[in-house]
Amino acid sequence: MENSKIVPLLKRLGLNTYNVDKKSHIEVNTDICINCKDKPCTVSCPAGTYEALPDGRIAVHYERCLECGGALVICPFGAIKFRFSEGGISYRYG
Amino acid sequence: MSFDADVIIVGGGLSGLSAGITAVREGLNVILLERGEYSGVKNVSGGRMYVHALKRLIPDALERAPLERPITKETFEIFCDKNRKLTFSFEEKDKKNSFSVLRSKFDRWLASEAENLGLLISYSTLVLNAYREGEGITLETNRGTLKAPLIIDASGVTSVVFRLLGLRRFTPDKWMLGVKEIIKTDVNLPENEGEVRTIVGAIKGVKGGGFVYTNKDTLSVGMAVTFDSLPKSEFPAKDLVEAFRERIGIEGEILEYSAHAIPYYGFKNLPPLYDKNLIAVGDSAGFLINDGFTIRGMDLAIGSGMIAGLAAKKIVESRNFSNTEVYYEMLKDSFVLKHLELAYNRFELINSPSTLSTYPEILCNVLSDMFTVEENRDTLINDVLYRLKEKGIPLSQAVRDLWKTVK
Repeated sequence: MENSKIVPLLKRLGLNTYNVDKKSHIEVNTDICINCKDKPCTVSCPAGTYEALPDGRIAVHYERCLECGGALVICPFGAIKFRFSEGGISYRYG
Repeated sequence: MSFDADVIIVGGGLSGLSAGITAVREGLNVILLERGEYSGVKNVSGGRMYVHALKRLIPDALERAPLERPITKETFEIFCDKNRKLTFSFEEKDKKNSFSVLRSKFDRWLASEAENLGLLISYSTLVLNAYREGEGITLETNRGTLKAPLIIDASGVTSVVFRLLGLRRFTPDKWMLGVKEIIKTDVNLPENEGEVRTIVGAIKGVKGGGFVYTNKDTLSVGMAVTFDSLPKSEFPAKDLVEAFRERIGIEGEILEYSAHAIPYYGFKNLPPLYDKNLIAVGDSAGFLINDGFTIRGMDLAIGSGMIAGLAAKKIVESRNFSNTEVYYEMLKDSFVLKHLELAYNRFELINSPSTLSTYPEILCNVLSDMFTVEENRDTLINDVLYRLKEKGIPLSQAVRDLWKTVK
């Protein structure tokens, strides 16, 4: 559903302070994603980290990660390998 | 084999710091590992702490801790369809039983208290692997390897040590996603007053609810919903808090957007709380209560952390590090497991699919009938029975569920 009053995700993420790791702390076995029709990761991540590509694979925007930990439960096929980042987000309020 | 400490605590949030403070007071040799640059920088809560446990940990905390506002007003709002809404408020001025809190500030303060008491905290230290070795557990971190005969896992809902040892199986129905914004606003309340709004039904499809907490000069606006309900939501997770904010009509500058997973197990579904050489506290142990009136984890984190610190002393003295059951025995005698058990009936009821969607709708239907005058009018009880039947809920079930809410 579209809602014009919603402040876009990237603008909200831009308010946060990140110290992005050089290497991704999230790995996705995208061979599994090709056969995944619903792709729940694309709607379940609050940071929009997982983006469906036209070929059915998933692109991982790990630099957006809010470190909620949800990656450990959102893929029913176990395709996401997640650990916390070394740098990552700094919450000023929390 | 030589150990680096009697106890290593993984995680410098409320439970880890409470365990550390207690263990140091008990004279143990403790190291606490915190992955953030300082405590609090990685932590997010809805933002309300019941302070009974904090006062036990630090008796003069209310005078010194960076709390936001005492919560003196509770408001429940239930959105029904057809533009109907049910609101209920309860006010108790001068109450100082719970406070709104912002964790980046609060946890940093608590960590400095802990350090003043002599707790060694290693910041920016991330546990990458854990395995059993000799008579203890070895932790591989980004800053080297550490070993201890006793580990307290205070790493939050992802329970890193238990998980790496194969002692956790997570499922999306037992976790909630919390999403939150800090909104800059004029809070038109005296400084000794604050409000919590708990809001159900504003966003359709999700299992869970929303909240608004009054801080000093900001609002914490957010939602907590089960992960397994997100694919059925009206809005994707990334827009959930914005859609909610728009729907309840809160405007203001967004200062921060945050997210955090929350355990949602309930008393009868708690994960293993202890294992050889290992204890879980706070979110890592799955300690969260939702009994319909109170939603809380922070006091349980502090309480379980303090008990873990005391249990650690007993375990270290006994030199029997495989017998961590002493922690569980102490937990059972404490408010932590007692309150979790007390809350279970309502927790289970709130968790059942009909409760947060069907019952509010029935309630709104009955209220709408009672507040409407036409020639046809029936008794309240007949109307309730009709509206229950319309939603396919037998009277026996409604009575059973009602009983659960008071028992």
